[in-house]
Amino acid sequence: MFAQIAAGVGMTVSITGASLLIGALLGLPLVAARRSAWTPLRTLATAYIDIVRTIPPITWLFLIYFGLPQYALRLDSVSASIIGFSMIASAYMAETYRSGLLSIPQGQWEAATALGMKFLPKTRYIITPQAFKVTLPAIAAYAISLLKDSALASTIGVHEITYQAGLVSRATHQGLLAFSIAGLLYIAMSIPLALAARRVDRVLRQKLEVA
Amino acid sequence: MEIATERAASPPTVGGVKVLGLHKSYGKHAVLHDVNLDMAEGEVVSIIGPSGAGKSTFLRCLNYLEVPTAGTITIGDTTVDAGARRPDRASLDRLRRVTGMVFQNFNLFPHLTVLENITLPQMKVLGRSREEANAVADSLLNRVGLAAKSDQHPSRLSGGQQQRIAIARALALSPKVMLFDEPTSALDPELGLEVLAVMRDLADEGMTMIVVTHEMHFARDVSDRVMVMADGRVLELGPSEQVMTAPTHERTKKFLRAVLDR
Amino acid sequence: MPFLDQWISWLPALSPGLGVSLTLTGLCLLFGMPFGLLLALILEGPVKPLRIAALVVVEVGRGAPALVLLYLLYFGLPEGGVTLSAFATGVISLSWTTGAYASELFRSGLAAVPAGQREAAVTSGLRGWSGFRYIILPQAIRISTPPLASLGVTIFQTSSLAFVIAVPELMSKAYALGSITFEYLSVFALTSVLYGSITLVALAFVRLAEQRLSRHL
Repeated sequence: MFAQIAAGVGMTVSITGASLLIGALLGLPLVAARRSAWTPLRTLATAYIDIVRTIPPITWLFLIYFGLPQYALRLDSVSASIIGFSMIASAYMAETYRSGLLSIPQGQWEAATALGMKFLPKTRYIITPQAFKVTLPAIAAYAISLLKDSALASTIGVHEITYQAGLVSRATHQGLLAFSIAGLLYIAMSIPLALAARRVDRVLRQKLEVA
Repeated sequence: MEIATERAASPPTVGGVKVLGLHKSYGKHAVLHDVNLDMAEGEVVSIIGPSGAGKSTFLRCLNYLEVPTAGTITIGDTTVDAGARRPDRASLDRLRRVTGMVFQNFNLFPHLTVLENITLPQMKVLGRSREEANAVADSLLNRVGLAAKSDQHPSRLSGGQQQRIAIARALALSPKVMLFDEPTSALDPELGLEVLAVMRDLADEGMTMIVVTHEMHFARDVSDRVMVMADGRVLELGPSEQVMTAPTHERTKKFLRAVLDR
Repeated sequence: MPFLDQWISWLPALSPGLGVSLTLTGLCLLFGMPFGLLLALILEGPVKPLRIAALVVVEVGRGAPALVLLYLLYFGLPEGGVTLSAFATGVISLSWTTGAYASELFRSGLAAVPAGQREAAVTSGLRGWSGFRYIILPQAIRISTPPLASLGVTIFQTSSLAFVIAVPELMSKAYALGSITFEYLSVFALTSVLYGSITLVALAFVRLAEQRLSRHL
């Protein structure tokens, strides 16, 4: 039974990993737009982030998986869930980046500007390294929550952990055991992420104190 | 001043304070070495000294916010022996009942109004009725000149006003001894003055007070005796005038020169 | 705008579902918040066996996906001889999730009360339970209220999961409507608008409450 449920781990990891990666990349232009001085672009980015986050993930998945084929865009369930979760992740990552940027004192921007640095080197060498440190624990925390959200992909038929547990539970009539195993698998998978986040957090804190 | 020294040598009267051989260490690091203090009822002692001297730690040991490692503390008729393991709840409660504490950063309860800050402990600790507690609070608020603020929340008040409320809150429980832990350090000088004025009145009315302070004028003019601490030890303890103008210890001279020259 | 007419004609079919979603959310907050506070108090308390039990409840509640908890209770309770309606199972399961997350928020609220407040309580004679009850807890709850309110909004979104155990809430009404009309895109777009607008309104209230509460802290 365990083996059959654990067979879903690969798919869970793939969906979570792919969506996190795509979301992290899409979040970059999104946060730039969110902080843009040009109002239409800023409004658009803000609206996108808010809309994506105020609608439940399961609704997004259904919209993409059941809704899009109406206009001839037929997606398999794995692609549909990666698209849905990437979209959601991009909004959350953009907000994470933004709070990272906000945590940097205005003086850092001013000092870099006063030294004659242009936007790109300023961002690349002064701001990003500092923002990244603050953001990393938040990214790890989001990765954990995305990992758990990926369970929703089972509702559109992706063969990940929760889907496998459902199959086993129907076949054996041991739902309690099957879903306990599934739950523990998720917890076990999030532990390394949580530990990494805590470790990074601690190391960074020490560094900041020294500085 | 002569009288004060003489009184100090006699055993504590009803509201007095007697501290014998107080030690405090964190692991191997000792922060208080053999501190002794003997105060008569109505006496005011200021504790001065460089930062890190252990002044606040000593004060906080007196009501067991910090647990001393050894020594005995007698306040009024309550004695707590730190040498014997952790003292029982009842004597700790008594110790805290007879002491009132005023903190550097006020520590008013932000979710309660000024009036409630003063009445809640009375009702919960002394079992006073709301009417009794209100009456006590009103008279104390008048005394510290803040009767008009009774329905406000502390965050609306200036630091000086908050500290005066904190003094009123402590007085409402009728303590025998008031402990002040740098009560004006977090305040702008002119706000500090209004707090010092309240403290001076309190001293004039005969309250027994121990004041950790950086206010040299207060130490000299209001207190009967001054205790100088450095590195967790008492350098000297004597009549205010004598300690402030003619200290015996070299380190006291250096400290006073540094502070008074500023 | 033809889709607007369509949407208006669908509202009667969806609104009972929305009612169930809101009821479900309300009940989960009603049970989950006190449960969360209880868990937090146990976790901060001195009784070790209780603490371990509470820790397991919290860690499973937060660590396992809400969806898995729903299935776990939906399939597990009958196996243990307890037969409940899908709705009741949904309430229990989501209250568990709510309680687990709320307990963490209560705990960080407790930790955020400055140490000076405890000292001031003790020196004012308010020690033990009365100091906790009158001085520490009210401040902790105030500190925790904004994140708790946000959690409430999240739980409203999470209530959509009850769809999988056939609770007749908004998602399942939408799915049913989609399978009759085959207008999935439009139906789920309307559903999104409903979830989104309620969430936005709720978040606006949360922000308002946040400003009011921060006045005295």
